[in-house]
Amino acid sequence: MSDTGPSNERTVPRRALLQTVGGVSALTLAGCLGGDGGDGGDGGDGGDGGGRLTLSQAKSPIEFDPIVLNDVPSAEVADQIFEAPYRFSQDLELVPVLASGDPEIERSGQRWIVPLNGDATFQNGDPVTASDVAYSYTAPLEEETENAGEVNMIETVEPVDETTVQFDLAFEFGAFKWYLSRSVVPESVREEDKDAFNKEEPVGSGPFTFEDWSEGEFVEISRWEDYWGEPVPNLETVEFTPVEEGTTRITTLESGENDVVKDIPPQSWETIENMSNASVEAVEGVSYFYLAFNCNEGPTADPQVREAVDYAFSMDDAVEQFVEPTGVRQYAPVPGVLSEGWDFPVDEWADIAHDKDVDRAKELLDDAGAVPDDWTADIIVPPDEKRENIGISVGNGIEAAGYSANVTRLDWPQFLEQYATGSADDYNMFTLGWAGSPDPDTFLYFLFAQEQEGVTNGTYYRNDQVDGNIMQARQATDREERRSRYIDAITTILEDRAHIPSYGLKNSFGVRDRVQDFVAHPTDQFWLVSGENNVSVQ
Amino acid sequence: MGIARYTLWRLVQAVPVLLGVVTITFLLANAIPGDPVQTMLGPSPSQAEVASIRAKYGLDQPLWQRYVNYLLDIARGDLGRSIYYETPVTTKIAERFPKTMLLMLSSYLFAIVVAVPLGVISAKRRNEPTDHAARVVSLIGVSTPSFWIGLMLILIFVFKLGLFPSTNLVLPWADPADVTGASTRIDVLGTALHHLALPVVALGTLQMAAITRIERSEMLDVLSQDYVTLARAYGVRERTILRKHAFRNAQLPVITIIGLQLASAIGGAILIEAVFSINGMGTLILTAIYNLDYPLIMGTTLVFSLFFLVGVILTDITYAYVDPRVSYGSKEV
Repeated sequence: MSDTGPSNERTVPRRALLQTVGGVSALTLAGCLGGDGGDGGDGGDGGDGGGRLTLSQAKSPIEFDPIVLNDVPSAEVADQIFEAPYRFSQDLELVPVLASGDPEIERSGQRWIVPLNGDATFQNGDPVTASDVAYSYTAPLEEETENAGEVNMIETVEPVDETTVQFDLAFEFGAFKWYLSRSVVPESVREEDKDAFNKEEPVGSGPFTFEDWSEGEFVEISRWEDYWGEPVPNLETVEFTPVEEGTTRITTLESGENDVVKDIPPQSWETIENMSNASVEAVEGVSYFYLAFNCNEGPTADPQVREAVDYAFSMDDAVEQFVEPTGVRQYAPVPGVLSEGWDFPVDEWADIAHDKDVDRAKELLDDAGAVPDDWTADIIVPPDEKRENIGISVGNGIEAAGYSANVTRLDWPQFLEQYATGSADDYNMFTLGWAGSPDPDTFLYFLFAQEQEGVTNGTYYRNDQVDGNIMQARQATDREERRSRYIDAITTILEDRAHIPSYGLKNSFGVRDRVQDFVAHPTDQFWLVSGENNVSVQ
Repeated sequence: MGIARYTLWRLVQAVPVLLGVVTITFLLANAIPGDPVQTMLGPSPSQAEVASIRAKYGLDQPLWQRYVNYLLDIARGDLGRSIYYETPVTTKIAERFPKTMLLMLSSYLFAIVVAVPLGVISAKRRNEPTDHAARVVSLIGVSTPSFWIGLMLILIFVFKLGLFPSTNLVLPWADPADVTGASTRIDVLGTALHHLALPVVALGTLQMAAITRIERSEMLDVLSQDYVTLARAYGVRERTILRKHAFRNAQLPVITIIGLQLASAIGGAILIEAVFSINGMGTLILTAIYNLDYPLIMGTTLVFSLFFLVGVILTDITYAYVDPRVSYGSKEV
């Protein structure tokens, strides 16, 4: 394996790029909701031995087949119906679900062998076999589905026997175990009628069965009484309803129309905290938001200019003002929960960030040969208030230092087309976010690897030593070796200021008091039943 | 020309208008920066995936060819296949259209039922407290965005008082089995009205205010005419003057404003559906735009245009019906 590693084409699912956060907050009422919290409503409280939970999503699911689905709301429902070989625990460890133990790694991380639990069955009574697992991981590639990028490192998947499946990868890939959390479908049922499986009768091995769906209105799932695993759900039925407008969504929590609401707008955080019958359930997510520089062309290709911009504004103040309490400040290009899990030297990295010093910024900009006297910094931001406000803070800082700045808010299609061109005509800086799996590779590789330039790496930051560390850490299976390489790479990236890390978002829910054991999960997924929780309603 | 021929003629005239709408929408949708395939696949699609999706939706063809194909499809009643939902556009529109229609027609009903008497009373009691109150209400109504009214209604009547639901819309003709807590048709109707109340007020307030203002103004104008003065001199009862001599003559501009308000009602419905989480055409067109779903953008715009055109034609026909001086386009000899 060369230093530069594999260069085969690979894709990133739409879910990875944080597009939707804050997208519907324009109509929210800043802090004007509050009050005494009546307890009416038709949230429902279930029948014998169970209960009915109503949960509001920010958008409507549009399909349920894990082979093809590629959006968060659909995945949230499918996660309750389908199961994967492994699931992320609350502390971001992989725990077996359909698997019976840890994967066995061979050929330096190019072959992964997964033992399956022989007791697992689908909701139609068929056993979950190695052949079903193999099918679930190869079908996206064969059918060229939208989410095929999640498995395109796989060369072949073969059932060794009924309960053992073997993955052979196109290259050594130490982080592959995080990709083993992909849901498994029954091959025979799906092949019979793919459209029906996707939208009418999805069949999984999870604790809930699909009951009814009206697109844009509701999805209903109910407890699978013969669930093969443990525990059997407390909840009898669950209804998911989409409410896109943030304030209205929060109001349905207060009125009792919903028991749980997802994605709390920043302005409504305090409202829920003040409710007498509900509270906020939040956990720091596996996400990373940042200000990135065009290191390819224009004045920001000069590290001195990037350092000047760091001096020109205060990211601490911007995050405090525009993000908290819905997120937390980050000082590294990986989520805080990952830094904690990998014991990264975050405090040392925090010291690399400069405090605001406009005079120093002006001095550096004036001295930099690459900056014309009439320089206007072009900052592009996506349609999200938080990232737009951070872009404006940067622009204000540059103007305070004696130069001009244009902050341009672009719609997503235009932003995606423009942010990775590397052309100074398109941008000098941009703000963006990234959600990955609980492994540093899913952040560092996609955001900084040279082979991702123009794809997901819009910085065009080039440092062969950094790139070598990222690529070798991606292939290594030894955790200590990977950690050491990531520390080296991140330290250099921060010193060179290809990014100025900004914040990580919390995955947040408003939860009525009648709901027990509902837990926010760092991965932006949630499970109503797992080895760690079993939601019920009083 | 009789009313039937006139109607037919107006419908024929609508065809080139719709063609223009289709052409402009097609060009504008395709001029929006960005790539629907990239929006669909994320930031790093492989070339194979991109090619596959482009071919699937005909996006690999030249613009002119797609335009011609689209026109031919429309002629066959086929509005294409939604890129986002992966279903026929006509299916999505058929699902969503009834709710938007219910919302808009109910809002119009609310607006007319409230505005016409309010305008008449306001004119009759000019410069009295009733008139002042009506003018203030109508001024606020025309000056306030419908989505803000919606949010305020939610804040007061849902959040504070808990009197109404804040989301969804129940169709009055829905099967009782599909409506929570309903066992009879009457129950469904009650639930539908309960859900409909706030969105209707939010959306209908602008129309109500605009109609009230024009009704008052026209009534004042008519009531100052010589023939009204003469009628009063003859001792005709004030109620008869209002009902028989003034009211009908004051309605022509009101009918015009009702027709013209259709455009703002359509725009308002899009926002109101977002605020009240109503699964109608408004949320559909927003989803289409967010995801650069060309067929869905064009299909929903076409339906809204068609709706507007029908509204305008109905307005013209009503206008001619109410005012005998207005002919249907040719003179009787």
